[in-house]
Amino acid sequence: MSAITVQIPTALRPQAGDHEMLEVEGESVRQVLDGLCQQYPDLGKRLFKNENEVNRFINLYLNDEDIRFLDQLETKVKPGDELAIVPAIAGG
Amino acid sequence: MDTPDPQSLDRYHRQMLLPGFGEAGQKRLAESTVLVLGCGALGTVAANMLARAGVGHLVIVDRDFIELTNLQRQILFDEQDVEDSLPKAEAARRKIARINSQVRVTAVIEDINHTNIERLAATGEHGPVDCIVDGLDNFETRFLANEVAVKHGIPYVYGGAVGTVGMCYAILPHTESGDSPWEKAGRATPCLRCIFEQAPPPGMNPTCDTTGVLGPVVSIVANYEVVEALKILLGEYEVVNPTLLSIDTWANTTRQLKVARAYEVGNCICCRGRSFEWLAGQYAGGTTTLCGRDAVQLTGAGENRLNFEHIAARLRSHGEVKLNNFMLRAQITDMNEPFELTLFNDGRAIIKGTKQPARARGIYAKYIGA
Repeated sequence: MSAITVQIPTALRPQAGDHEMLEVEGESVRQVLDGLCQQYPDLGKRLFKNENEVNRFINLYLNDEDIRFLDQLETKVKPGDELAIVPAIAGG
Repeated sequence: MDTPDPQSLDRYHRQMLLPGFGEAGQKRLAESTVLVLGCGALGTVAANMLARAGVGHLVIVDRDFIELTNLQRQILFDEQDVEDSLPKAEAARRKIARINSQVRVTAVIEDINHTNIERLAATGEHGPVDCIVDGLDNFETRFLANEVAVKHGIPYVYGGAVGTVGMCYAILPHTESGDSPWEKAGRATPCLRCIFEQAPPPGMNPTCDTTGVLGPVVSIVANYEVVEALKILLGEYEVVNPTLLSIDTWANTTRQLKVARAYEVGNCICCRGRSFEWLAGQYAGGTTTLCGRDAVQLTGAGENRLNFEHIAARLRSHGEVKLNNFMLRAQITDMNEPFELTLFNDGRAIIKGTKQPARARGIYAKYIGA
């Protein structure tokens, strides 16, 4: 198993132990998120609409590429990859 | 001091030295109209820089009045404006008149919604405005702006900021005819809905009024918006940033998220399907002034149920909050006026303390978010 870095947005840090970044193991985006949400169940509730679907106002970027246009949740990850959780920013 | 010549380009000397500007570029700016939607933190910074850069006509739209807590970041306003309880759009117009008398400002004191946004976007010299710059505080209105941009072929620069983070993204929309100058240059970009398919539901995301916002972050984001707007007005489409810029000033990260494929692969209902649901009022949060009760009811537009615990935690710093399984009630003081906000878990809200739908929508956007 390889560990990748997950960037937690400010809005979701209270549900992720106030971490900005977490190292999480997994071979696909789905495995990484499963691992993350096992550790932080409240984060899972904010991220996922249901088991197979991330809320549509939150995007996931693997090395700055939107996973919707890669292999979605099944996108493979390798050591050193960065997964950024990016919610729409509404303020201003 | 000499009064500046109303036609002179002298004041733009340092800008005209830059590539892409020159005298021709400067004249092009002078003939341009920019629609600034919202005149809060992002909007004041953007309007200020657009005016100083010599954009000939600014149409500034905002429904709110200035309050003391705005002054930390809303750079066109001062203590006297708070004292005078001026509407933001009008105060901005007066301030810009002193900054650059060559710029014409149209101040519009209105709530932006599906009934008026197309009229606002048609205030350019020859019809459509040349660019829409985002100074908004909610996603409902941003999706409206996005649809206007796509439907009428108007470039739209999205910006958003909250806490210590922000985003900027320039939309050069795909048009029905496909013959816009940016499409001919091969530089069209995915629309906002290609990237974020859905608006965050009310209460899901932090708002500047509940979580706070760092002054420089809004300035940074709004200035990025202005940079992209100036490129667009000058017709320099090949240098418009095609990525979604995401900045976290506290974690020291800047990302340029690649979004180009969102149009090709995403099958967007708006810019590919050319279906304009927000403009049609399909998702409009309806408002009803409750007769004889000094209260306005807002109909929820979100499909997700609200999380009262999260909302209550954020609102407690503003006043007393009570909640049960069915509703949340918060006492809020906004611009020295007391309001009672009652939220139901279908997203519906009753705001007591006003009869004005626009004021009620403002309270909702500030404290619950959308």
